[in-house]
Amino acid sequence: MTQVTSETFDQNARVALRDTQLRGALDNLVKTFGDRRKEVIKTVDDWEGLRNEARRIKDETLLNLDRYLEQFTGNAEKAGTVIHWARDGREACGIILDLIDAHDATNVVKSKSMATEEIHLNHALEAEGVNPVETDLGEWIIQLANETPSHIVVPAIHKTKGQIADLFVEKTGIEKTDDVDVLTNTARKVLRSRFAEAEVGISGVNFGVAETGTILILENEGNIRLTTSLPKIHIALMGIEKVIPRFADLDVFLKLLPRSGTGQRLTTYQSLITGTKRERDDEGPDEVHIILMDNGRSRMLAHPVTRQSLACIRCGACLNACPVYQQIGGHAYGAVYPGPIGAVITPQLIGLKKTKQLPYASSLCGACREVCPVKIDIPALLLHLRAEIVDGESDGIAAETQVKKKLGERAAFAMYSFLWRRPRLYSFGARLSRAFQNTIVKNGKARSGFSGLVPPLGAWTHWRDAPAIAPKTFREIWKEELSKRND
Amino acid sequence: MIDTAAARAEILSSIRRNLAASQPFDAVYHEHHAPVAQPAAIVQREKSSPNLLVQFKENLEAVAGKYRVVSGEQDAANAVQDIVNELKPRTIAVSDSARVDALLNRINTNVRVLKNPSKSELFDCGVGVTEAQYAIAETGTLVLESDRERSRLTSLLPPVHICILDAKNICGTMSEILQIVQNDLSRTVTFITGPSRTSDIELTLAIGVHGPRELHVIVISDETNA
Amino acid sequence: MKVALFATCLVDQLCPQVGVSTVEVLRRYGCEVVFDERQTCCGQPAFNTGYRKEAKKFAKRFIEIFEETDAEAIVSPSGSCTAMVKHFHNLFPEQEDWRERAENIAARTHEFTHFLVNVLKVEKLQSSFAGRVTWHDACHGLRELGLRAEPRKILNDLDSAKFVEMPNADSCCGFGGTFSVKYPEISVAILDKKIEGIEKTGADVVVSCDASCLMQIGGRLSRLGSKVRTMHIAEILASQDSKQ
Repeated sequence: MTQVTSETFDQNARVALRDTQLRGALDNLVKTFGDRRKEVIKTVDDWEGLRNEARRIKDETLLNLDRYLEQFTGNAEKAGTVIHWARDGREACGIILDLIDAHDATNVVKSKSMATEEIHLNHALEAEGVNPVETDLGEWIIQLANETPSHIVVPAIHKTKGQIADLFVEKTGIEKTDDVDVLTNTARKVLRSRFAEAEVGISGVNFGVAETGTILILENEGNIRLTTSLPKIHIALMGIEKVIPRFADLDVFLKLLPRSGTGQRLTTYQSLITGTKRERDDEGPDEVHIILMDNGRSRMLAHPVTRQSLACIRCGACLNACPVYQQIGGHAYGAVYPGPIGAVITPQLIGLKKTKQLPYASSLCGACREVCPVKIDIPALLLHLRAEIVDGESDGIAAETQVKKKLGERAAFAMYSFLWRRPRLYSFGARLSRAFQNTIVKNGKARSGFSGLVPPLGAWTHWRDAPAIAPKTFREIWKEELSKRND
Repeated sequence: MIDTAAARAEILSSIRRNLAASQPFDAVYHEHHAPVAQPAAIVQREKSSPNLLVQFKENLEAVAGKYRVVSGEQDAANAVQDIVNELKPRTIAVSDSARVDALLNRINTNVRVLKNPSKSELFDCGVGVTEAQYAIAETGTLVLESDRERSRLTSLLPPVHICILDAKNICGTMSEILQIVQNDLSRTVTFITGPSRTSDIELTLAIGVHGPRELHVIVISDETNA
Repeated sequence: MKVALFATCLVDQLCPQVGVSTVEVLRRYGCEVVFDERQTCCGQPAFNTGYRKEAKKFAKRFIEIFEETDAEAIVSPSGSCTAMVKHFHNLFPEQEDWRERAENIAARTHEFTHFLVNVLKVEKLQSSFAGRVTWHDACHGLRELGLRAEPRKILNDLDSAKFVEMPNADSCCGFGGTFSVKYPEISVAILDKKIEGIEKTGADVVVSCDASCLMQIGGRLSRLGSKVRTMHIAEILASQDSKQ
C-alpha cells in the first residue's frame, strides 16, 4: 500500500477534491452528525457548564499528571492489573509482542484504538508473524481493504456500501448484496469465529480513573466487551493523558463524549474494568495488562497552549465541523489523526519537519473550538505551531524541527513589515500598485505571465476575480473631503 | 518480560520537567483563561421526569430495547415464557442469579436450559437470561456488576438477552449510579443501553452486531399502574 | 461621542467606500470621527502566518498611535482586525507593560456593528435599502467577538429591505488570509458551498462585517457571472435608498 504522507498534503487534498464519491460521503457525514449533535445537546440542561467542568478536570489532571498516573498505577496494581510503561511506540509494540510471545499466542483480536493506530501496532505484529484481526466493523473493513482510517470515530466513512459489499464478496465469499443488515451479519459471523478462538485481546482505553485504577471503554457494537472478556489475556494501550482523577468525574465525560462523537446520549456499552477476576473460575481474562504510553505526549506539557492538546477525548466532533475536513476527508492529512485535532497533534508527535503543511491547512474559522467538548482552542494551537515553523524553534516539540526557511515568503513579509509601518511608503506603494495594476490584472484576471511570477495572484485569480485597487484610497478621500465635514 | 521501571522513571521525570518548563508561561496564559479552580460539586443532570419507571421505559424503547413491566415472579415467568415461545431457541443460558433460576423453573418449555454454560456452549445459545443490579432512568441503561452475578458472557454472546430488573433498583441518573457502584466496586461493571448497533456502513443504522440484537427488559414492580 | 476610526488596510486600498460609509453612519448617529493618518495595518497577515516578530512591530505601532487619541472609542469596520487588536496581548508574553497597554487599547476598540448596537445603543435606524439581503457570519466576528444578534437586528430593522437567513450563515467562506492562496482549491471548495447557501436565499445582496470575506465571496460570484452583489454592512446602513 502506498503510504500517503502529510508532506504531500497539498497534492493529497487536490486528489481528494476530485473524488466526487468521497465528497458525497463527507456531505452525508457532516449533515447526519451535525444534525444529531445539535439535537442531542438539547437533552442536557447546561451544555456549556459541562464543557467547562470537563476542561477544568482535564487541566487539573494535566498539571498534576505525574501524581495521577502514580495513583492510577497503585490502585490498578492493587486490583491485580499489570502496569507497563512505554516511552514510545516502539517500546509499546515490543511489550505487546513480548506478552503474546510469553503466552505462545497466535490468535489475537483487537478492538478499535487510535493509540494502536498511532504506533502502527498491526504492522509490527504482522512483521513477527502475528495476525491480529480488527473486530470493530469499520476497522475490520479497512483492514480487509488494507487502508488506514479516515475518521477517528467512523474509520470507513469514505467507503460506499457498494465498495464494502465488493470487498466482502472478495474476502468472505458472500454473494453481492446492498443490504446493510446482511453485510453486518457477515461481519458478525466471520469475527465471531475469531472471538471463539481468541487467546489475546488488545483494546484501547477511553478513561483511566486514578482514584480506583479503573479503565472505562465505550462502544456500540459489543466487540470491546468480547475482546476484553473472552481471551485469557487482555492488553489495553493507554495514552498517559487518558487518566482522570475521580470515579465520579466519569459522569461528565459520559455526557460529553457520546453526544459529541456520534450524537447519542450514551453508547450501547460501557465496560468499567478494575483489575483481574477475584476467583479463578470467574468470568474474564486471567491477566489484565495496561500499557501507559508517552510517545511524545509529555513534551506537550511544556506550554499552556500545547498542553491543551492532551485534553482531547477523541470524539471527532472537530472533524465533522471543520470546513476543510468536510471537503477533503481524512486520508489527505496523511497522518493517523486527521482533521483539526490531527493538524495540531501530528506535528507535535512526529515533528514539524514532515508535517509543516498541516498547521497552515486551516482558515482559522474556529468551528472546531466551538464544538470541542473540552474547549481546546485549536486555532490558538495552529497559530502557535505556525510561529514555531517560522522561527524554526522547538519548544515543547520534537527535535526534528529544522524546517527549511521559506525565503520567498520571508522576503515578502520583511518587505511588508518595512514598507507598511511607514505611512508615506505605504501610500506610495498603494499608488504604485494602482498605477501598474492594469498591467498585471485585467477584468479581475491575472494577465499571462504574472500568475506564475506572483504565485498568490495566480492562486487567487484562477478561480476568483481579483479586486481592483480603488481610484482613491480611503485616506485620500478623508484628506480631501471627509476631514472637512465633521458633523 | 520487559522491565519497564526505567521507562516509568523517565516518563514521570519528563512530565515533571515539562510542567516546570511551562510555569513561566502559565501565569501569563491565565491572565486570559480561567484558572484551575477547586472541583465543583457534580450536579449535571439531564432533563428528567418524576416517574423513574416511565422515564426508563421511554429511554429504553428509544434505543430499540423491549420493555415489559410485571407485578410479581409468576408474571415475570410468564413474560419470559412468551418470549421463549416466540423465539423458539434451541438452548437458553442463564446466569447464576437465584431469581433467574427460580423464574426459569416456573416456565414450561422443552428448551434446554444451561445453568453454568461453558464459553463454547454460550456461543451456540439462542437466549441469555440475567438480572441487572441497577438501572439508570435518564438513559434507559442496565447496570451489571460482575461481583454480584455471573452475567458477563450470558448477557453478551447469545443473540437475545432477557434481563430481569427490580423496579426499586432503577435510579435517576448516571452520577447516582457511579456513586453506588463505586461503593464496593466490582471487577467489571457493564452498562447496557439497548441492543448492539453500528453505523459504520454509510452511517446507516444496523442493529445487532457483535452483542445481542434483541434486548428484552422485564421490570418487576410492586406498583400495578405502570 | 468622539470616535477614532481604524479603517484597516484592506478598506483603505480596496474598498474605501466601506470606510466612507462607516464615517457617514457614525456621524449620522452623533459621533465626532477622527482619523489618524499614521495608521496602516494591524499586522494580522503576519500574525496569522506565524511571523510574530513582524506582527509585534505592527502591534506596537498601532498601540502607540492610538494611545494618543482622546477619543473614547476606536471603531473598525472589520471583525477580524478588531479581533487582532484584542489578541495583541499574545505578542508580549514577556513584557507586562506592553501587555497592559495592549489591554487598554483592546478595551476601547470595537467592531462597527457591535459599537452601533451595544455601545451607541442605536434604537431607530435611519436607513433603508430596497432589496433582498442575506447575512454571512464572518468567522472572527462571530466566534471571537460574539456578533450574531447585532447584525441581524440591524438588517431586520431596515426599511423596505427583506432579510433572508442563509442555511449555512455561520459556515466559513474559505478565505482565512493566506490560506486562500496557499490552498486555493480547498478555499474555493469551501467557498462554493457558501455560495450554494447564498443562492438558496434568492438574495440580491450578501452582507457581512468583514471586507476580506466579501472580497472572497464577491470575487467568486463575479467570476461565476452571478448577479448577486456583496456589500459591507456599513454601506447598507449608509444607504438611504428609498427614504422619504
